[in-house]
Amino acid sequence: MTSIGKPLPHDSARGHVTGSALFIDDMPAQVGELHVGFVGSPVACGEIVRIDVQAALETPGVVACYTAEDVAGHNVFGLIVADDPFLAREEVMYVGQPVVVVAAETPAALELGRRAVEIECREKTPVLTIEQAIQENRFLGPVRKIARGRVDENLTSAPHRLQGTFKSGGQEQFYLESQAALAYPGEQGQIVVHSSTQNPTEIQAVIAEVLGLGQHEVVCICKRMGGAFGGKETQAAIPAIMAALVASKTGRAARVIYNKDDDMCVTGKRHEYFTRWECGFDDAGHLLALRCEYFSNGGATTDLSPSVMERTLLHGDNAYYLPHVEFTGKVCFTNLPPNTAFRGFGGPQGMIVIENVLESIAEKLGLDALEIRRANVYGVGSRNVTPYGQVVDKNHLPEIFETLAEDSDYQRRRIEIADFNAKSRLQVRGLALTGMKFGISFTTKFLNQGNSLVNIYTDGTIQVSTGATEMGQGVNVKIRQLVADEFAIDPRRVLMMATSTEKNNNTSPTAASAGTDLNGAAAVVACQEIKSRLRTFAAEHLADSESGLVASPEHICFAEGSVHDDRRPQVRIPFEQLCEDARRDRVDLGARGFFATPGIDFNRETGRGTPFFYFTQGAAVAEVVIDRFNGEMRVLRADLLIDIGRSINPGVDRGQIIGGFVQGMGWVTNECLTYNEKGELLSHSPTTYKIPAVTDIPPEFNVRMFPNHDNTHNIGSSKAVGEPPLMLALSVWAAVRNALSYVKPGAEIDLKSPATGEEILRVMTALEKDTTTNTLEVPARLES
Amino acid sequence: MRDFLLLYINGVRHQIHAHQARMSLSDFLRRELGQIGTKIVCSEGDCGACSVLVGRVHEDGLRYEAIDSCIAFLFQLDSTHIVTVEGLAKAGSMNDVQQALVDCHGSQCGFCTPGFAMAMTAMQENDCSKDADSMRTGLTGNLCRCTGYVSILEAGLTAELAEGDRMDVLYPSEPMLQDFYAHSAEDIALIEDSTPPLLKKLSSPASISTNGQGKGFAASRVLCPVTLASALEVLREWPQSMIVAGATDIGVRVNKGQALPETILDLNRVKELEQLGVVDGKLVMGARASWTEVESLCRQQLEEFYQIVKVFGAPQIRNMGTVGGNVINASPIADSLPFYFVMDAELELRSAEGSRTVNINDFYQGYKKFDLQPGELLTRVTVPLPDEGELLRLFKVSRRLDLDISSFTAAIRIRLDGSRIAEAALAFGAVGPTVLRARNTEDFLVGREFSEATMREAGELAVAEVTPISDVRGSEDYRLQLTRNVFVKFYLEHQPDAVLL
Repeated sequence: MTSIGKPLPHDSARGHVTGSALFIDDMPAQVGELHVGFVGSPVACGEIVRIDVQAALETPGVVACYTAEDVAGHNVFGLIVADDPFLAREEVMYVGQPVVVVAAETPAALELGRRAVEIECREKTPVLTIEQAIQENRFLGPVRKIARGRVDENLTSAPHRLQGTFKSGGQEQFYLESQAALAYPGEQGQIVVHSSTQNPTEIQAVIAEVLGLGQHEVVCICKRMGGAFGGKETQAAIPAIMAALVASKTGRAARVIYNKDDDMCVTGKRHEYFTRWECGFDDAGHLLALRCEYFSNGGATTDLSPSVMERTLLHGDNAYYLPHVEFTGKVCFTNLPPNTAFRGFGGPQGMIVIENVLESIAEKLGLDALEIRRANVYGVGSRNVTPYGQVVDKNHLPEIFETLAEDSDYQRRRIEIADFNAKSRLQVRGLALTGMKFGISFTTKFLNQGNSLVNIYTDGTIQVSTGATEMGQGVNVKIRQLVADEFAIDPRRVLMMATSTEKNNNTSPTAASAGTDLNGAAAVVACQEIKSRLRTFAAEHLADSESGLVASPEHICFAEGSVHDDRRPQVRIPFEQLCEDARRDRVDLGARGFFATPGIDFNRETGRGTPFFYFTQGAAVAEVVIDRFNGEMRVLRADLLIDIGRSINPGVDRGQIIGGFVQGMGWVTNECLTYNEKGELLSHSPTTYKIPAVTDIPPEFNVRMFPNHDNTHNIGSSKAVGEPPLMLALSVWAAVRNALSYVKPGAEIDLKSPATGEEILRVMTALEKDTTTNTLEVPARLES
Repeated sequence: MRDFLLLYINGVRHQIHAHQARMSLSDFLRRELGQIGTKIVCSEGDCGACSVLVGRVHEDGLRYEAIDSCIAFLFQLDSTHIVTVEGLAKAGSMNDVQQALVDCHGSQCGFCTPGFAMAMTAMQENDCSKDADSMRTGLTGNLCRCTGYVSILEAGLTAELAEGDRMDVLYPSEPMLQDFYAHSAEDIALIEDSTPPLLKKLSSPASISTNGQGKGFAASRVLCPVTLASALEVLREWPQSMIVAGATDIGVRVNKGQALPETILDLNRVKELEQLGVVDGKLVMGARASWTEVESLCRQQLEEFYQIVKVFGAPQIRNMGTVGGNVINASPIADSLPFYFVMDAELELRSAEGSRTVNINDFYQGYKKFDLQPGELLTRVTVPLPDEGELLRLFKVSRRLDLDISSFTAAIRIRLDGSRIAEAALAFGAVGPTVLRARNTEDFLVGREFSEATMREAGELAVAEVTPISDVRGSEDYRLQLTRNVFVKFYLEHQPDAVLL
């Protein structure tokens, strides 16, 4: 009755569709509970001159206002560098940066109280853009570099050379449940906080720091999140601290629910990037040398930016072998909210650059871009070492490319499209196949660990607790399946408990696609420990001296809800009976499991190592049509082929693949963050920030999993699926670029991401005006 | 006259009095009733997470449609039956839509899911979920960030609502209808004294917003008359009242911090304003005709306008939003207006004293300024339809195809005499403080050969007649280029050999 590989519904599916699954804002109010909000900085950059909360405190129903002065412990925290203030004290660094926390009896009183707070600042000119930051030399952290070979030499000797710049925009996570936390005092000075967070351990730690408590005095619980996508890895901290601060000061329960506009205005997003690149290649389009200099817009504090940049450098190659390469990365320090994790974590920003380079090469050589990609894709046995020295082991990329090109009828459609474009004056179509290779593991080594707690009860039912947080990705049902299969029982007998720091300590964030890998493996370790005890016990139980069957744990099997000795399979003890008997015999039916990913290491200083446990790979073909007169673009068809190993739950995983692709499509097409010159976000709600809607998904949408069971060193021979599919959407961007190459063959195409209708029209207008042909080839060395 | 609103929620009767009448439906559900299945995300009708069903009285009984509960005020909902996600099936069970969402992996994080369950059930109720196309069109008002929609669409196409889960079986309509009819002739006056409820009773959530963004407060007087005559009387007595029909705009503004004014005239019960039909070659629309009704009429009779109406907001918005609201909101990006401008539509304005008609081309005087006198009410929009052989095209460009506000709109109507242009009307939106006619360009076109060269030249001329700004929906350059390009696009689209996908 194995359940691995079956498309069981999401753990909370029934609760979701009936509305009974509780999110933080849905939890019943406690008597005396306070509504908590904040007042943020009115300016992007400046010094606080005066904070006046008097009028707010006099507002009926307002209970308290707190500023940095009221913080007992540290006011500053941060995972990589402690530079993130909980409440701004003297300096304000971005618009909306929390300055004053307000607590009130009712939402209305809170609102009136917030409006009554006065914050006066001495305003300074903010630095908002990457360009400004480069000019003013404002960077966060050191320059990062990954390099191999002799780049300059090979650029010079290459038959062809191109260079350019590339810009990709930021992206709002747009989880539907905004940042939220509920805190209340426990006994003995404890604080209990329910947080919508990917990282309960971090919430526990920062609350302890800010309140001056021991970590043992803080419990953080996360039952579920209404989406996260990286946006609740670090950014859930500030609202959680607000709730905890109020609970601690007033002794009352306190709840913080950001509204959508505030959430979008003050929390960090995917980093926008600016990249300078230059490459050398031969007549067949082989990349002989590539140099990329990446700049990300980090915002006002470090947050996760250095790690995000690190992943960019580790994915600058994407699916392609680069003999001579130099990637450098700098994080720009600007007056925007601290940018942070978002599905892909810097990977997409690196990968889109090389996909753009490959399109440029194709246009330059007059070849189909698929030919160029085939020429450069990582090989099997040779041309398979990454710029940082890790071998792309068990590489299926060439096969994936071929299978997908065939299945999607690429060649025939290429001809049709060329024909259509020659005829149609109203529309132009484009087609592209892009690759994807995404490294699985946290690049910060210590985070690659997980622990679990498995408790079996005497009726044979099981509760499992791990550090994995459920944000919709289905980690709970997958772990449930893994545990059920260990004991060969019906998965309905296994329940996943809310993630709590009380059950699992020192956990890693549920991030880097590794939730199931780490926590599932840890759960299985715990199961195996219990199984070993049960085997010993069952062996005694099933031994039969009369027939000469000696107790032998190795012969004990768990199958179909019971245990038996494989030498006498007709005698079976139902699992629940075994549990009941085992307890009576004083056998421990609970265990803690621990897993640390083996064999990975990466040296940041040298830029070399084996940072990844394995790679998830895939490719996608997209076809688009563009209105030549207004730039409107539709995706007509998408074909995805992705290797996620042996899927633990193909229903859940298919949802991750499609959802990731569509989210990536949003990033490269319509999602546009617009700030004014004061650093205020103008696109701060779904009215002005357009994530893909149901009619944006391609009418023909084929999604296939590449059959592969060779990833045996990972749990269940599966591969991580969370982030990788997002990058399959680069095919949509590349298809737009390909379409534009038909507008004026041979001309330089300077298409940014996102390729909004406006951006596409801008490029088409420029192409039609410009009479020059390709001006890309410039021999001069890039300035850095 | 009565002093309460009468509505049913999941079959339970509620009388709503003045102190709660201004709450949004979603606040009432979540805060007063503790029905937390309805989720709040954007508070502006752009995500659909708060979707509920509203059953309204029609000739054939209660007809259920999805609306966004975050931007619907209770005072708009007299004599309706609201069904929330908690009420979709008998307690403890799921209807087929919910079951299909489970089976097809239609939920991931689950936050948007109740909204989808509602929207999909509404489609089932109205038998408009038969194919992938209508399923997509029906779900444009619901955003999901996790699934990429495919599994949701699959669920929608799999589900078939069992007879026992249809609303009129779950909630027999007869008793509710009897109750509604018994009260249908009564005007409603919901009057509170001037002390803001907030200061009287802090725990009362009346007059406060979802998400704590604040609605401010005011002494309140909400009047919901039954007849046009009494509506006009209300306006005579309180000429400053805010006139509310669908509230799809004011609902958003209130959630984002604007206070409702002291006096509100709600038109939702005035049947006389619902008129809709084609009469003597003219499209006649009562001010309170909903966009859903206009959409279904135009689908049969006016394809060109239908193409615009179907991307007007989303089903939830079209189920509330009205023809009159779009005119009186006076936005330069209102989707319906360019069509009216090129057709010389007439607006009927009435007051207790009498009525007058104004050509829409003369109605707007500046940004959000228009010729409506105190005490006057827009009652009807009459649009002459294009003659046989006239070329008419309506354009809307927005960042996203559905549920997006226009970056640019245009209407081009041309009558040809042989190969020459005999008459031309050109209207543009989102390129100035009001929707505008490009009169010089029209003059230029008349008498000329209908050719690509002519249209190209017209584009250049039109650019001089518009004054777009740069904002979050597009730059000035973008809008100028769209203005320039729409002429040749129009020309090419009317060529017999136009190759379109």
